[in-house]
Amino acid sequence: MTVHPKTFGYSFRRILLYVVLFGTSILMIVPFYWSVSTSLKLERFVYTSPPQWIPNPLVWVNYIHVLTRIPFPRYFANSVFVAVVVTLGHVFFDTLAAYSFAKLRFPGRDQIFFIMLLALMVPFQVNLIPLYKIMTLLHWNNTYLALIIPNLTSIFGIFLMRQFLMTIPNELLDAARIDGCSEFGVFRKVVMPLALPGVATLVIFTFMGTWNDFLWPRIVINSEKLFTLPVGLALLQMKNTSNQAQIMAGTVLTALPMIIVFLFMQRQFIEGMTAGALKE
Amino acid sequence: MTAIPLPHRFTSSVKKYAMPYVFIAVPVISLIVFLIIPMVVSLWWSFNDYSGLNSPKFVGLNNYVELLTKDKIFTKGLVNTTMFVLLGMSIGPTLGLLTALMLNQKVRFRSLFRTAYYLPVMTSLVVVSTIWLMLYNRNGLINSVLQTFGLAKVGWLSNPHVALISIVIASVWQGFGFETVVFLAALQSIPRELYEAAMIDGAGGGAQFRYITLPALRPVIVFVYIIGIIGSYQVFDQIYVMSSGGPVYSTTTIVYYLFSKFMDLRLGYASAIAYILFAILVVFSYLQLRFSRERA
Repeated sequence: MTVHPKTFGYSFRRILLYVVLFGTSILMIVPFYWSVSTSLKLERFVYTSPPQWIPNPLVWVNYIHVLTRIPFPRYFANSVFVAVVVTLGHVFFDTLAAYSFAKLRFPGRDQIFFIMLLALMVPFQVNLIPLYKIMTLLHWNNTYLALIIPNLTSIFGIFLMRQFLMTIPNELLDAARIDGCSEFGVFRKVVMPLALPGVATLVIFTFMGTWNDFLWPRIVINSEKLFTLPVGLALLQMKNTSNQAQIMAGTVLTALPMIIVFLFMQRQFIEGMTAGALKE
Repeated sequence: MTAIPLPHRFTSSVKKYAMPYVFIAVPVISLIVFLIIPMVVSLWWSFNDYSGLNSPKFVGLNNYVELLTKDKIFTKGLVNTTMFVLLGMSIGPTLGLLTALMLNQKVRFRSLFRTAYYLPVMTSLVVVSTIWLMLYNRNGLINSVLQTFGLAKVGWLSNPHVALISIVIASVWQGFGFETVVFLAALQSIPRELYEAAMIDGAGGGAQFRYITLPALRPVIVFVYIIGIIGSYQVFDQIYVMSSGGPVYSTTTIVYYLFSKFMDLRLGYASAIAYILFAILVVFSYLQLRFSRERA
């Protein structure tokens, strides 16, 4: 920074900076490129030396196989269904509870919230096995209910939304109450619209987490009909009959929706990711 | 007509007091049924010999004693997981900070680079692991690139001395973009005037970094490390897809071992593993609390 612009040292550092930035970015992109490229190859060209960078011949057969012989469309539909329902649940229940914790006064509020914060530290593995047992008792194993109901709210989501709702001025809520709004009316007509930017963050986190979740669906679902994409992909990987090119077609189909969502909502993603860290 | 307002007022006041509880009802019930009860049950099972089929048989601390003193695989799992955390945490955040510092300068295509680093973060670990499993194949891309440079092939996932490191590399590749983004946001929130004042005082780049940048980043650094350590201690998906804990248990981690004991229907034993993991994480959570207190 102390080097004066246009000197040799300055331009050398600029060039070095760009070389490093481009170099590392290429390292980030190559694995993705390689999986797409592999998914468009015939099996016998997957492991060649030297590597075949551009598929030749370029074929769609792996996608056709994955989409017709393996119930990938079904996995996809399951993933979408579960992620959408879970996300809607979070938006409604987390925000409603967050409103209660942030803006309403009631006996036991702070104590209940404190217990929730403590519970945030419990790793999922601790309640995993009894939770599986509860699903068995309820006959929910191998149903959508097991994927959805235990995940319908999250303490993290409540915490996130509470931080956000704290910034809404109380006068606004009181004005609505004086106008004769019920508490739920205040929530629906005043709080929800103001909370939308926070909701966007919540939606992204929840959707991404549910879409990518593996351990719980892996344990609680046995029937192929109910597999989500990551579980289906892991199974495809384990099968001896599937070849690498097909596996990569499955990989691309699993990753693509999140990547598309990300590219469109990049700003919200980044803001959401950094919100927790910077507000701490 | 005159009697009607009374019950109405009564119900409305009940409503007024009940509403906050109604609003938090679903999360609270969910917390009790899906978290607190299972936690207690799991603690109870950890003191039992329990297969899930027969009724639990109380064995006191036997599971814990066996895990911590006799079970060599679990000890290996503890060591492996700690190695995974140490290696990953020494590379990941450093890489994140370096890339953030680079992107914090006046560069073109900043958002493009940031996207490249961030892309794997929102990709599922199963996807990332599946891709790296292929890259690490004996005849895979990495080995064939090595060969073109005249280097020997490496058994990335088949050599027990290398396998854990390979998984660390894939995991760091997947995750460091999170740190890049968090650090970059923190860097951009440091007031420019601080640097200008330092420059007037004659402070060079190194001194500015040491006395302005690092102190300003400290809370974020603590956050990134604690979140990272807690997350890394729970590593599972990568192991499941890439190595199944092998070869010769060289990549067996705490949660992978827990999962395999669950599959073996040793539920009491698996619960004890979960509580040992919990104890480790509590220590780190406590550290975070202490560090964040110090700041305030």
